[in-house]
Amino acid sequence: MSVLTANSRRDLEIHRYPAPLYLLVPVAALVLQALLSRYLSRFPYFDIPLVITVYFALGRRSPIQGMFLGVFVGIFEDALTHHAIGINGIAKTVAGFLAASMGVRIDVQNVFIRVLLNFVLTLLCSAIYLGIYRGLLGIELDWSWFTLLFQALGNSAIALLLFPLLDRFQIRD
Amino acid sequence: MESFFFRYRNLIVLLVLLVAQILGLAMQVRRTAEGSNTYDPTDSKSVQLIRLWANAIVSPPERAVQNSKSGAGWIWQNYFDLRNVRQQNEDLRAQVDQLRLEQAEMLEDVRQGQRLQGLNKFEEKYLYKTLTAQVIGGSGSDLSRVFYLDKGKDEGIARDMAVITPEGIVGKVREVYPHSAQVLAINDQSSGAGVILEQTRVRGILRGNAEGQPAIVNILADSRIKPGEKVLSGGGDQIFPRGLPVGVVDRVEKDPDRDGFIQVVVKPAANLNGLDEVLVITDSEPRFNDKQLKDLAQSESEKKADAAALNEQKKASEILEEKLPGLTDPNAPKPAQDGAQTGTGGASGTAPAAPPAPKLLAPQHADRFTPGYTGSTAGQTGSQTGDGANSAPRPTAPKTAQPGTQPTIQTGTNPAPKPAQPGTKPGTTTKPAQRPTTTPAQQAPTQPKTDRLDDTGSKPDTPKQPSNPN
Repeated sequence: MSVLTANSRRDLEIHRYPAPLYLLVPVAALVLQALLSRYLSRFPYFDIPLVITVYFALGRRSPIQGMFLGVFVGIFEDALTHHAIGINGIAKTVAGFLAASMGVRIDVQNVFIRVLLNFVLTLLCSAIYLGIYRGLLGIELDWSWFTLLFQALGNSAIALLLFPLLDRFQIRD
Repeated sequence: MESFFFRYRNLIVLLVLLVAQILGLAMQVRRTAEGSNTYDPTDSKSVQLIRLWANAIVSPPERAVQNSKSGAGWIWQNYFDLRNVRQQNEDLRAQVDQLRLEQAEMLEDVRQGQRLQGLNKFEEKYLYKTLTAQVIGGSGSDLSRVFYLDKGKDEGIARDMAVITPEGIVGKVREVYPHSAQVLAINDQSSGAGVILEQTRVRGILRGNAEGQPAIVNILADSRIKPGEKVLSGGGDQIFPRGLPVGVVDRVEKDPDRDGFIQVVVKPAANLNGLDEVLVITDSEPRFNDKQLKDLAQSESEKKADAAALNEQKKASEILEEKLPGLTDPNAPKPAQDGAQTGTGGASGTAPAAPPAPKLLAPQHADRFTPGYTGSTAGQTGSQTGDGANSAPRPTAPKTAQPGTQPTIQTGTNPAPKPAQPGTKPGTTTKPAQRPTTTPAQQAPTQPKTDRLDDTGSKPDTPKQPSNPN
């Protein structure tokens, strides 16, 4: 249990990154998502902007920063679709908030936690997305459980590769 | 109070952000007449601005990647090439690898060239004006099947233009930006295209399902619809021209929500998951090349010629109808001129004017039912009259002389004997060659057919020998 909870000073420290990275990485993620979706349209089982949101929210451990990043990324994603703007924004706002809130309490360097957190938050985002569409807007939208599950698995796999890569950009004292 | 806000600042910010976004959503949704909510496809100006910004950020890198040959693959390849160049200093293996990759790249270029060539050929043949565009990116979401083109408003693309490939329809332009355009694919759940099944002629609306396959929905169960049947665009949606291929029926499923209804899942003709180049129909007015115009003109002239021929045929049939013997009443009173000729012909001493006799064809085998038939005796008598002035032997003597009819008097010095005019009796047109009913005796060359009167006005009893006037 001590492995999972943040009990050391190092675990509780706020990760800092070069300032341009906070803008460049999310934008790059959005562009990459738009690009890859064209080449991998048969396998749309990834949401790189969500993984980035979770990463920065976990690292910064600030729910407010996580939420604003979620709003920015989500609205940007919505703008690229033909759907109403705000659906992804709400989902990723919640994801950013939850990731940052949990980042305070758990060990964010643990690989298993990172993968699990991405898996759960991806499912949650999909649920919020569909909930807003069907419940809040009252618009019928079909979905496939398999697609949601594969997307959660895909995001977990991406997080497994991407998080160590982004960790390299951390500013260490 | 301050401590409350500070303590719950995270939750307060969360609530504010959520409420703001929900309000934003509410402004983008409208209520339909049926009472259900629907997303308003016409974006407000602020929403359009957000989309424009997002597009302006995403499009340049997408375009850059697209322009740099084969996008991500090209970057990947060059990355390895550079590493090899640095590490192995132009090692032979790197060269071979590079050559192989170049070959693959060239193959890709060749394929792209072939695709473009095919598109150009199709564009030339196609009736409507089209614009070739490249697909540069997607939405990034499987719930929004839209993609972006590298051409936009400045290149002549407008909203609701149809996007097709030579294989079949792809989607319609949903949003237009200065140098890019968003296309809604036909397999999106919110798309709608009017289609028709080629064989069964069942019409329906095509939209995407959850798996991203286009399906024709809301149609009544029809056992005639089988997998493999072609699906064409119906033209009713005012976007896709009629008759374009859409795909083939993949399978027929029962509509889970409505009894008696089915949904026909369609395998799209165009490869919606691997689009590279597409055509945007920019003008739905048909354009014809010189050959097509020539064909049209020829078709018009042929049509006119056919109409004229029909008219001619009609006229001919009317004439033929007039000439049919059965349509002439044999008991009809003879024309007044006929009687005048019989009594006063000799006195007048002039050839009577030809009466306006109907030109009836002579029957091949005259009998008593034949109009104007007068019996063999009369015929013989009449045929045997004549004088020697008629030098032309007539092998066949038409039975034209009627008992009550006096032959016309040929006075004067006209040496050429004239045959009895058929006008003396309606329905007895004499065409010697067509009257083989006479006996050989009657066909004696010494018996001119011309009935002539002697000076007293009576018929001569004995026929005179014909003499050659020459």
